[in-house]
Parts: sequence; structure tokens; C-alpha cells
Amino acid sequence: MKKITEKQRQCDVRRVINERKRHSCSNKMSNVSEREQRCNASVWQDVNEWISKEISCGLKVTNDMRGKKLKYNGIVIHLPKTMNFSNNQDETVQCLTAIRKLVSVFEVYKSRKIPHKAYKLRSVNFDSLASISTSAALVLTAEVSKWNISIKKKLKPQVEKWHEDIYIQFEQLGFFDLFDNKPEKSVISQKSSPDVDFVRYVRGQCGNSDEAKDKKKELKAEISKLVGAKVDKWTILHSGLTEAVTNVTHHAYPGSKSCEEKSWYLTGSFNKSTNEMKIAFYDQGVGIPNSLPASEIWEKVLSYFTKLNIPSAEHKKHARLLEAAVSIDRTSTMQTDRGKGLQDLLEFIRERKAGYLSILSYHGLYKCWIDKGKEQSKTISMVRPLNGTLIVWNVKLS
Amino acid sequence: MKTLFIGKQFSDDPAGRYYTDGDGNGEEFREEVLKPILAAGKPFKINIDENVEGYGSSFLVEAFGGLVKHGYFDKEYIKSKIEVVYQDTDFKFYADKIYKYLDEAKYNSMEYITSKKTAVDEKRYNDSIDKSFIKEFL
Repeated sequence: MKKITEKQRQCDVRRVINERKRHSCSNKMSNVSEREQRCNASVWQDVNEWISKEISCGLKVTNDMRGKKLKYNGIVIHLPKTMNFSNNQDETVQCLTAIRKLVSVFEVYKSRKIPHKAYKLRSVNFDSLASISTSAALVLTAEVSKWNISIKKKLKPQVEKWHEDIYIQFEQLGFFDLFDNKPEKSVISQKSSPDVDFVRYVRGQCGNSDEAKDKKKELKAEISKLVGAKVDKWTILHSGLTEAVTNVTHHAYPGSKSCEEKSWYLTGSFNKSTNEMKIAFYDQGVGIPNSLPASEIWEKVLSYFTKLNIPSAEHKKHARLLEAAVSIDRTSTMQTDRGKGLQDLLEFIRERKAGYLSILSYHGLYKCWIDKGKEQSKTISMVRPLNGTLIVWNVKLS
Repeated sequence: MKTLFIGKQFSDDPAGRYYTDGDGNGEEFREEVLKPILAAGKPFKINIDENVEGYGSSFLVEAFGGLVKHGYFDKEYIKSKIEVVYQDTDFKFYADKIYKYLDEAKYNSMEYITSKKTAVDEKRYNDSIDKSFIKEFL
């Protein structure tokens, strides 16, 4: 065996070290990529499983094969006849959640190819929809907006078979502004005039106070136009909206760095028959109950539970957490954190001495109403969670 | 007595608690408007309703309660120097809140740590409000 020189030995050592580094680096990269793939696979598999389960629970879904082979697995979600959060909450939330879940697959894969077996949302069919509440229309618009963004604004609404009232209301809402591809023809007949008129929705982003200011003014102008008069105590509602926007910035999107992802949606409506004005505010964030454990008022929430002898099994229930958040706000003032400004939301109906406020956040529903000067409230656990926080004010105008 | 018009001189939509909530926040109003004017010692009026839509409690509690909470002035001193005025009776709601937050604040109970640098670094605060008007109160 030939003895190598010192120079040759050092050269060999460097070569081996470099090879090991390269090997280790490529292993790491392959591990990350594999992990990512496994994670992405788990997302679409979970979504597929959820959709299949919900189909057996009444979710109306059909296959869509326009220009695609069956194995492409494109699906169409059919909206129910009625969408609202009062008497058709289950079906409404089921549809909205289905859209959110299917959109999450697009968001995870971004521009990469989605596996054939994964369900892909191809369309949401509005043809059966005959009635929709202001808040359900706002949430649906927000979900469709999220979907449109996830697929680079390629959506094009097919409105030919829509109910005329629905078309008018969505046009009033500004729903079609979402799309670069607008509907090709108008289907409005002059006779049609729904009882409830919507105002154009506005979308705001956190950290843009000028934008928030303009959007709130826009809503006020639109509502005044619709109602035909100044809304008494509007300043107090403005204060509630301001706090709702501040809350979105502080609490709703804790993990997200990008302000673009921290959006909120706002709209209003006026029912000509009942003289009722409704204002709805929605964000797609983590929700009030989920944000509480990480907030500065968590200790107070636990003290609140202890004080009321609420068993620990109940502490994680969203309805309980929502109730605690509202109650703690009422009693906290100059502590490190006043809470979540939820009392500001209530002031509008209190000052008007009538109407109701409801807050839906994941599994929790809080409702406060004033009837004949008497304030009452209740909290309810919802079986299906609404993915975000929806705040609704409803007052009857004189 | 001079009058400070929040809506005309500071912001027509005062909102948010900290600098990180954007221009026209409560911390900014306290640190750059109320604190220097109160330190000068001359009594003044604060008009809260002209050209203002409304106030969130985050703004009011940080701006007014914060003066006491951070130990700048005690509540009696502040009340002797300011008079909150308004024409629109709906704004009594906010005037009451201002006095309530002053009364409930615990003197010097919290050290002040500014959020301005973070807000500027993250481009959430643009320092767009001209506050040179405070000179006439000094």
C-alpha cells in the first residue's frame, strides 16, 4: 500500500467533509419537503373525509366535469333555499364551512398541483337560494372572496338561474365587484323589489386606519341613503364599529404577520316592511373564545369561572368563554387590558333602549336584547362552529 | 380659555389604543397632545364633537385614563385643568366616559413603554398628524 502525502491527506479530508455536508443538506431538504407533502396530504384528506361525512348529513354536492376528467374530482356546492343564522343555522354554517375547507386546499397547495383524489371546489351554485339574511350574505361574500383570492381571481359568476331578489340583493351588496369576470347579462325584471335592501359591503385590512375611517363613513352614507334619514345615536354605533376594528387588529389573527390576511367585512341593510336596520361586521379570524387563553384577561376569565362555580369541564365551551368575555369587559376598567371592547358593542342598543346585538364566534353565540326598556341576554352553544366572528346589530327605526 | 378641537386639530376619527393601531390613536393623543399641554399648566377646553364621528373606548381610556395610570398627573389636577365641551347631546356619552376613566385610573400603576418604534418599524404609524397646534396652548 502506498503511503499518501500530507497534502493528499488534507485534500481527501476536505473532500469527505464537503461530501458529508452535501449529503446532510440534501437529506434535510428532502425531510422538509416530505414533511410538507405529508402535511398537505393530511389537509386534503381531512377535507375529503369531512365533505363525505357532511354529504350524508345533507350537504348538497355534485360532481363537476366541465372540460375535466371524472378523476379530477371537481365538486359543486349547492346552496340551500334559505340561508340565515336564526332558523336555518345548521344548513347555512354547513355550506359556509364546506367552502372554507375546500378553499383551504387551494391555499395550502398555492400554485402547485393538487392531488387528483383531493376534492376541488369548482363552483358554488346559487340557483336554489331564494332568501338570505344580511349577515349570511356578508359571510358568504367573505368566503367567496377568500376563494377568489386563492385561485388568483379566476372566478366568474353564473347568474342566469338565480332568483331575481337574490340577484338584486347581491348586486346591492357589491358581490359582483369581487370578480374581474363580471356576469354577462343582467337578469333583473323591473317588478322585482325585495323587502330587504342591502348596502354595498366594505372590506378593510388591519393597520390601515385611514381606510377604516373611510369605510365607516361609506357605510354611514349608504345607510342614510337607504333609510332616508339620519340614524339616531349613530355615533354610538360608530364607536362599536371602531372597537370591532381594533379587536380584529389586536386579537383576531394572532399567527398571521401579513396585514392583507387580517381582513374584516362590513355591511348593512334596511327592511322596508318592518323598518328594521341591520349592521353586520365579520372577520375570518380565530374567534373570541379561541383568542382568550392567550390574552391578558385570561386570568380574569378563570377567576370569573371560579366565582360562579362553573365546573372545569365547561371552561373550554365557547359559549361560556364568550359570556365571560362580555361580563369581564363590564367589570374591568383600568387594568392592563380592558378586555375586548365588547361593552362598546352593546352601547348602541342600550342608548337606543331597543333592538338586539348578537355575537357569533365559533361554537359560541351571545345575544343581548332590549325589550320595553328591559335588557336581557343569553348564550348558546352551537353544534357547528362559524369560522370567524360575526357581530350583528338590529334596531327598529321610527 | 383656549379650546382644543379633537376633530379639527387631531383626527376626525380618533381610534385605537396604541401607535400600532395607526395614526390618530389614544397613546399618540396622550403623549404628544395632552401631556405637554397639561404640563404647561394652563386650563383649556376640549371640544369632542365638532367634525368627529365617535370614539372607541380604547382611544378614550388610553388617552385620558393613561395620564393617571402612567403617573403623569393625578386626576384632581387633570380635572382642574380641562373642561370637556360639546354641542351634540349624543356626545355626553363620551364626556361621561372620559371622566369615568379618569376617576377609575389608579395613579402611577403602570410603567409606560412606548409602542411608537414598533409601529414605525412595522409601517403601521405614519406620523401624518401635524401637532404644531399645541404651541398655542403652552
